[in-house]
Amino acid sequence: MLNTVNPPTKPQNYKTSVEIDWCPGCGDFGILNALVLALQELKIPNENVVLTGGIGCSSKIPHYVNVNTMHTLHGRSLAQAQAVKIANPRLEVISASGDGDGLGIGAAHIVAAGRRNVDLTYMLFDNGVYGLTKGQASPTLPYGEMPKSLETENLKFPVNPLFLGLASGFTFVARSYSYNIKHLKETLIRAIKHRGLAMVDIMQPCVTYNNINTKEFYDPRLYDIEKEGWNPAAASENDYKQKVPQAVLKALEWGDRIPMGVFLDYQTETYDQKLQRLVPDYGKKNYVMEPIETSGKPVNDVTELMDSFC
Amino acid sequence: MMHDLNLMVAGPQGSGINFTSDTFAKVMTREGYHVFTNAELFSTIKGDHSYFRVRVCKDMIRSYSERIDILIPLDAKSVILHTKELSKEGVIISEENLSDQRRASIPYREILQVVATKFGKSLADLNVMKNTVALAGASKMIGLDKEKLKKVISENFESKPKIAEMNNAVVDEVYAEFTPTHTFDLEPTAYKKRMFINATHAVGMGKVEAGLKFQSYYPITPASDESNYLERVMGKYDFIVEQTEDEIAAINMAIAAANTGLRSATSTSGPGFSLMVEALSYAGMTETPVVIFYYQRAGPATGMPTRHEQGDLRYALSAGHGEFPRVVIAPGDHKEAFYDTIDAFNIAEKYQLPVIVLLDKAMAMSNYTVDPFDLSKIMINRGKLILSETSDYLRYRLTDDGVSPRLVPGVKGGLITIAGDEHEEDGHIFTEDADNRVRMMDKRMHKMKFVHEEVPSDTKVKFYGIPTNKKVIVSWGSVKGPILDAMEIVKDVSMLQIRMMEPFPVEEVMKFLEGKRIITVEQNYSGQLADLLREKTGLETSSRIVKFNGRPIAFEEMVEVLSRKELKEREVLTYA
Repeated sequence: MLNTVNPPTKPQNYKTSVEIDWCPGCGDFGILNALVLALQELKIPNENVVLTGGIGCSSKIPHYVNVNTMHTLHGRSLAQAQAVKIANPRLEVISASGDGDGLGIGAAHIVAAGRRNVDLTYMLFDNGVYGLTKGQASPTLPYGEMPKSLETENLKFPVNPLFLGLASGFTFVARSYSYNIKHLKETLIRAIKHRGLAMVDIMQPCVTYNNINTKEFYDPRLYDIEKEGWNPAAASENDYKQKVPQAVLKALEWGDRIPMGVFLDYQTETYDQKLQRLVPDYGKKNYVMEPIETSGKPVNDVTELMDSFC
Repeated sequence: MMHDLNLMVAGPQGSGINFTSDTFAKVMTREGYHVFTNAELFSTIKGDHSYFRVRVCKDMIRSYSERIDILIPLDAKSVILHTKELSKEGVIISEENLSDQRRASIPYREILQVVATKFGKSLADLNVMKNTVALAGASKMIGLDKEKLKKVISENFESKPKIAEMNNAVVDEVYAEFTPTHTFDLEPTAYKKRMFINATHAVGMGKVEAGLKFQSYYPITPASDESNYLERVMGKYDFIVEQTEDEIAAINMAIAAANTGLRSATSTSGPGFSLMVEALSYAGMTETPVVIFYYQRAGPATGMPTRHEQGDLRYALSAGHGEFPRVVIAPGDHKEAFYDTIDAFNIAEKYQLPVIVLLDKAMAMSNYTVDPFDLSKIMINRGKLILSETSDYLRYRLTDDGVSPRLVPGVKGGLITIAGDEHEEDGHIFTEDADNRVRMMDKRMHKMKFVHEEVPSDTKVKFYGIPTNKKVIVSWGSVKGPILDAMEIVKDVSMLQIRMMEPFPVEEVMKFLEGKRIITVEQNYSGQLADLLREKTGLETSSRIVKFNGRPIAFEEMVEVLSRKELKEREVLTYA
């Protein structure tokens, strides 16, 4: 839910004063800047935003954004983010994760998250390597590649995050680029505004360990699919079923031309709406603010439950 | 007159044995009797041999008996396996009219045929109601009012009134046609309102009373019954139960919901807890008030999923890398499970740490009668939770008691920064400063001192029996039941039940045990509580009585071992 009361006025208000420890020239800086600009433009009060991170270089971003943050465990950013949103649907929830964090150790949560469709934004920092542990191959590193940090060539096929997101049921699937801050900011704004689970796969060079997927690699290859006529919107379930296979075909493109932009934007029932079918009052009251006791006495009374066993 | 009556329903898993025993138990509960049941199931859906015991008595009972007075076998194998357990006056309710004195033969075919004809069904359609024939036969032998049995059957089939009607017609027919040669004259009792529940119900109700708003779980025996019970009532009491993709997600979601401001828990068993361990350590580091309900079952690895064991005490106490504060509570019966559940949330929020409530399969799958809980004394303490506008907020602010004011997202004037890396007061992690590390470790670990000092003695230990007895049994968890029952016969032993395992109540334990002869009784191989007792107090156990064959301790074997003149250093119980 976007709340526009008392918006902060300057972009800096969304940045903390914590000293940033990313390598100079790291793609993470562009992503941080784009996120801060997106929050500024959306004017969401800082206290209503929760940003979670996993473990890794990218997952340190919570410390640099001046909102509520949860720096979780390796692979668990998305799992925790969903619970935050379920616990308090009034919050704007963003989950940050690296490609190793999200697609390696935490991949099960992507599949499960797609099945729920919790209304949050999942930012995937995608650079092909595990930076914080000195550059081992991550699940998105292309087959056969051997960036300078690897001891051997990579024998595993890469995971395509967009394909995985589409297959799992993400209702908004996009790709952007850390050196195209304007596109990234706009894409993040669209993802945050989207009602449902949004994935933004962010192409991002690792200047220290990945000497293959560099700025020079990406700049000439990335093209905007929406500028070439792709319409990501699916207006109905039928439309969605037809759109997904086409979006998958687009997502699988890789080589001289690498697609970016929004691949799918499908508005359907979100998890909080679905939960209301089981718990009719869910979302009507704010669980967090609703007292569970009055002067220490429980608000709930289980007498009726006890009687059901007598 | 009979003091206690023991009925067993045995047969293939999935043949309706639990329906039969539960119905009988419910009728007896409503007659005002104390009822204790024990379920021994195979880890399959259908087919393998399983059985339920129901023990009924006008006095309090807390264990099952080795003796069977009425055996309801739903297949031939059950007759072969269980006839040897029949008491002298015991009977087998059976179909065939054999000359065996011990058989109470009911004309199943004729009875079911009459009902089938009445409802325009074939005999084959009514085959599934054989257990109702036997149940009605048993009820008549005990002299129960058939209308009371029919009422429970109608309630059980509330959504299928036609099925209820047919089953009740079977009851009528049995009562009309079956004239038992054996009868059981149970000592009469007066009606008293009691619940017939297992520990998953007790914990579930405790959670509702405590104001739980978020529960996550991944299906696992024997813990998921609790989450499934909560799913049944969440619509009415307005909270969320989330089935997750694995136990890693379950605990991480519970932690995040807790840090968002909800009373939050997860329930699991050994294999699931193993997957939760990294996040348990995270909860300690991030000072998250999350509660883990840990239903032990027979391990290691997959072990025997539907069988009982108390093999995870040392594990629950030590699981998780690094050193962090935790509280471990081990209720010994359903009543304690209810109150301890509420205490667990209070402790978790007051001291901002993970709490483990250690339960076991015997409690999870044993239904018995419990007096309605006294709700009048229940208090909720949310500690230093901040829900209104604040300023100058620091999530990990250093305080005298180590507990920082706890803000949650969405409150004006402050932001939270939660971090699993070592952090400063503001939650940021870009320091590996040595002094800060010492301050923060001290802050977190210091909280245990206050738990130790502030939690009431009753929550930590309970003493039963004559204080001057030289022999004191030290035990924990569901073993309390058979021990207390045995102590009604064996008068020269007392019992100290340890209820709080961490922080370990050294002073309270010393007070009761100094100068005594210590006997431990636990359901694991090595005697984990005996080891813990030695580690924490230096006290040596003279005899470790253990049982680890997957079955709870029976009343008779408990009496037998405690009555022995001499006990070896290690005594292994094996009744199955």
